[in-house]
Amino acid sequence: MGFLEAIWDVMSTESAYTAATRFAAVLVFAAVGEWVAERSGTLNISVEAMVLSGAFAGAMGYSWTKNAVVGILLGMLAGLIVSFVQAQMSHRLTADQFVVGLTLNILFLGITSFLYAEWKPSSRVASKFAIPVLSKIPLVGKALFGQSWPFLLLYLLVPFAWWLVYRTRWGLEVRAVGENPQAADVSGIDVNKRRRESIYFAGLCSGMGGAYLLLGQVGRFDDGIVAGRGFIALVAVIFGGWTLRGTIFGCLLFGSVLSFRLTLPGLGYELNTELMSSLPFLVTIVAMTVFAHRVRPPGSLARPFVRGLK
Amino acid sequence: MSSLVSSKSSVKRRGEIVLLYAFSALGALLLSALIVEAVGANWSDVWNALLDGSLRKPGRWGRTLGSAVPMAMVAVGTIISSKVGLINIGQEGQMLVGAAFGAYVGAHMPGPGPLVIVAVIIGGFIGGAFWSGLAGALRYWRNVPEVLTTLLLVTIAANFVGYGLKNTWLLLDPDAAVGNRTQVSPQLPPDSRLPRIDLFGNNFSLSVIISLMLIILISWMLSQTIVGFRLSVVGQNQKVGKRFGISEVKQGFMAMCASGGFAGLAGSLMLTSGDFAKFRLVPGFTVNLGWTGLLVALVAREKVMAVIPVALVFAGLRTGSSFLAATGVERRVTDVVQGLLVLALLIPPAVLFIRDRRRALAQVESRT
Amino acid sequence: MNELSNSSTSGGSVFTEPPPAVTAEKLSKRYGSVRACDEVDIELFRGEIHGILGENGAGKSTLMKMLIGLVLPDGGSILLDGKPVTIRDPLDASELGIGMVHQHFSLVEALTVWENVALGDNSKLDRNKIRNRVTELSKQYGLDVNPDDRVEDLPVGMRQRVELIKCLCRDPSVLILDEPTSVLTPEESEQLFASLRRVVEEEDRAVALVSHRLSEILQATDRITIMRHGAVIERCLTKDTDANSLAREMVGRDVDMGSTSEVKVKNESFEDADISLEDARRDKKDFVLELKDIVTSSSSGVRELDGFNLGIETGEIFGLAGVEGNGQSALVEVLSGLRTVSSGSVFLKREKISSNNFGRLANKGVAVIPEDRHDSGVVLDMSVADNLLFSNLEEGYRYGLLNKARKDKRAKELIEKFEIICAGPDAPMWSLSGGNQQRVVLARETSDKPLILVASQPTRGLDVGAIEYMTGQLRDLAKSGVGVLLISSELDEILSLSDRVGVIFRGKLAALMDRENADRESLGLLMGRGEV
Repeated sequence: MGFLEAIWDVMSTESAYTAATRFAAVLVFAAVGEWVAERSGTLNISVEAMVLSGAFAGAMGYSWTKNAVVGILLGMLAGLIVSFVQAQMSHRLTADQFVVGLTLNILFLGITSFLYAEWKPSSRVASKFAIPVLSKIPLVGKALFGQSWPFLLLYLLVPFAWWLVYRTRWGLEVRAVGENPQAADVSGIDVNKRRRESIYFAGLCSGMGGAYLLLGQVGRFDDGIVAGRGFIALVAVIFGGWTLRGTIFGCLLFGSVLSFRLTLPGLGYELNTELMSSLPFLVTIVAMTVFAHRVRPPGSLARPFVRGLK
Repeated sequence: MSSLVSSKSSVKRRGEIVLLYAFSALGALLLSALIVEAVGANWSDVWNALLDGSLRKPGRWGRTLGSAVPMAMVAVGTIISSKVGLINIGQEGQMLVGAAFGAYVGAHMPGPGPLVIVAVIIGGFIGGAFWSGLAGALRYWRNVPEVLTTLLLVTIAANFVGYGLKNTWLLLDPDAAVGNRTQVSPQLPPDSRLPRIDLFGNNFSLSVIISLMLIILISWMLSQTIVGFRLSVVGQNQKVGKRFGISEVKQGFMAMCASGGFAGLAGSLMLTSGDFAKFRLVPGFTVNLGWTGLLVALVAREKVMAVIPVALVFAGLRTGSSFLAATGVERRVTDVVQGLLVLALLIPPAVLFIRDRRRALAQVESRT
Repeated sequence: MNELSNSSTSGGSVFTEPPPAVTAEKLSKRYGSVRACDEVDIELFRGEIHGILGENGAGKSTLMKMLIGLVLPDGGSILLDGKPVTIRDPLDASELGIGMVHQHFSLVEALTVWENVALGDNSKLDRNKIRNRVTELSKQYGLDVNPDDRVEDLPVGMRQRVELIKCLCRDPSVLILDEPTSVLTPEESEQLFASLRRVVEEEDRAVALVSHRLSEILQATDRITIMRHGAVIERCLTKDTDANSLAREMVGRDVDMGSTSEVKVKNESFEDADISLEDARRDKKDFVLELKDIVTSSSSGVRELDGFNLGIETGEIFGLAGVEGNGQSALVEVLSGLRTVSSGSVFLKREKISSNNFGRLANKGVAVIPEDRHDSGVVLDMSVADNLLFSNLEEGYRYGLLNKARKDKRAKELIEKFEIICAGPDAPMWSLSGGNQQRVVLARETSDKPLILVASQPTRGLDVGAIEYMTGQLRDLAKSGVGVLLISSELDEILSLSDRVGVIFRGKLAALMDRENADRESLGLLMGRGEV
């Protein structure tokens, strides 16, 4: 069938892999952060705003200093700011986290567009950094090791996140808080504080991702630059069953599928764009339905904790 | 049905609430003013433009009313599903599917005008109910959290409708002159459009009256009939309900469908009123009104009648923002104002909730 | 150990005794206008198990919560080894050496034993160190706990032990146990007390055992402090007192302990394993409720009821004794219509009722007082009138429309009849005391002439006055012809109320007898292991 041919063609083209990992990279930045946040029991729709703010701040940072490192740091700061508002409102003031998340998306879309129109930062893509031997590996070498240098931050971030959650006391407490906040509370853990902290981590990661998107891929800011990637990252966490491996797999999968929109026509295939665009979402719903009893969200996901309230 | 304080102090409490809200709203406006001024624009220009655009200039409050309709309907639906404890955040998608169903009916159904109008509106309700019903079914059949499925279905809806608008056998206008250039549905013929009302120099659609009546109806239903009682029981303690024959699954699924149904209804009202895309369905038709409606519901805090003032405020912001171009201020600033306003409006109930809960706990603990 | 401090609050010789591990001086806590603790003085000495006895509402839980940092006192002070300290949260308490063995709420099921033990500590997370410590303590106290097990896979008795180890890992000088034996078999309780005795004597720690059970306090403690209405009313040494004096002090008057002391005790051998329905049928009397070979499974596949048979006659009180966790919850859920059976049948007056048809049982006259009224008995955020309405929605909603006048009328009648203390029909349920909430449940369940009443742990969490009221109501109901199934883990209650007694063990009816043939020891053994 033409479908299988298409898959084969894609899988044997180096540019397909490059495109897929490029797309997936932003997802991984944001998804890793959101994974930690969701393990603590929070659901942050505002990831979209975090990534967007990170992109904008990255552009501003580069525009002021012509230095991509500053851009990325500023991007992380911007993500942190968004996450700060989210965390304080939903996990200190007990406002509904979905409302807050949605509102922040709208608010920061407004702020970034507004400020972009007024300040007009200029930026460009950061330089490539190809790791000598590894990037020569056929097919995947360039994709994994020959991208612009901010991409390499992922190789630090992912193991760090794993270590943070599974090997530190903070991570243990975060997991406890996500599964059974009452028990954690009685054991002397400040539930909402841990949740806020995990949201801050998500902000840092997503901000970094946004800055990477701008400085490592696109080059110029536009308010449509994120285009739902934050959401998709969130979906990847769910699809991955709240494990780190699953999350990254989800990002790669979704990244591939969504990048096919670009690669397939290039290879001469016509596709149903709507189907491709919906695929990550459809696939996630199907996965959740089929694996409903095997995969479990953290016990208190999206349920706010107030002491004394069940 | 239940009140957290005795009636003696309720006057004082109401006063407190009003003050808190007023204070927060002012805070939001102040912050917006600061942002605007900081960037070099003039806040009073902005403020005046907003007021002109939403209320003051002739014909504007009619437009504001028209804008409030879909937000209000979405909000009503959201309150219904909140009552049973379900979290629906997919209204944007449900609205779109509802509008799509309505557009399909409008394009393909023969018959006298009024009949078509009714069919389009009902079709909208059915479309939205179907879309949220999917999430409801997955929740009750496979325990998949509806907060996730409704969210995922939003993008799927957009793509689904986008596809429909590319094909004439579905939604696309077969008229060559129109179809080649853009993805639009056929324009509803004049007799399939909701009549408009002229009042004090303002022109608005019958959809305003329809939605107002529905708000009153639902408010009554939830507080004065057994329907509302059953929904509350399921939302607060499913086990007690189940013991006495009130099925969590049945009530929950129905509430979920109703929730999407109202969002779909909002979509079809948007279509037949002509206020949004001149009686045509286009990509991006829902212009984030689904999200705004959700915000309205959450700010109105489960009181259906409160939807009216809240929706009017949000609608005012929307219609007011179209006057901003003249001031030279970037239009997006209304998003900023709206965002800050919502955040500010979330603070009073949060503060009150914490305080009430502390008081309640103290009372309960003292009896242990 | 033998600290010679120079603090001397009571004057006199300084060198008589080491100061107590914990001293509470005039500790007070108010909630609004209610004094939960009113200037409480208490001393916990090392080498002793100190029992704190009192009914619910006496203030003992609040007192312990202050010592452990979950509640901040309004007045008074706490001294550790004679030195004043401030305890702001559980971490402070832990650092000061005060540990609490919690009942339910301190274990995270998805994590392993060692991870749970590590929670609440402040130090670096050293996996092997903690695991080894767990194994060490487990051996030392004979607790048989594996550090790598997931808590969700462990049975209740085992979880209790994990809690104990979690507490001991912090090396506390004081251990507080709050009602620890409600989920244990008599045998497991014995083991727990033996472990505590070791903790106290070999390691010179102090233990505070909070309970409302007289027998437990008498069995396990060295010293007793009795509280009532937030204040200490009596202190004594365990060897100097007995059940009756304790009970009298607890309530301030002579208590009718039921007919326990007057019943003839017969030593007979009982059948073990399950009793078939034919055996259960003693004479040709018609059973109002029959359960035949009921099997239910939990979501993880565990069989909770494993071929359960039972028959309840009209007008009798059938007492089903058993330690919690042997299938009682599943039984109550089946009879509440909240659970479907995998196999077996339920007959109401000889009519078979399908368990898929929830709501039917309630409709047909099966009344239930659940063991956790907050969980499945009342809706806390609704009004008293709403809660009273459930069994008969028609009374308030004719043709689906609310008729507030009728609803309130019904509510007022029931409030009066059952002497429910509340602000009125519109009072929210959470504003009522435990005893009054129980009365609402009772009122609602019994007001529509039920055929049978299932009362599960009906007097749990109630003060003695409320207990007397409830038991009186149960007796009256039985007299009026209602069949009463009393499910309880309190043997005294079973023995004082029942006409017939049964024991549930591992999902089966392990024993069945008339009241005259039942005695504490045998029942205890049956409850503990299904055979004598």
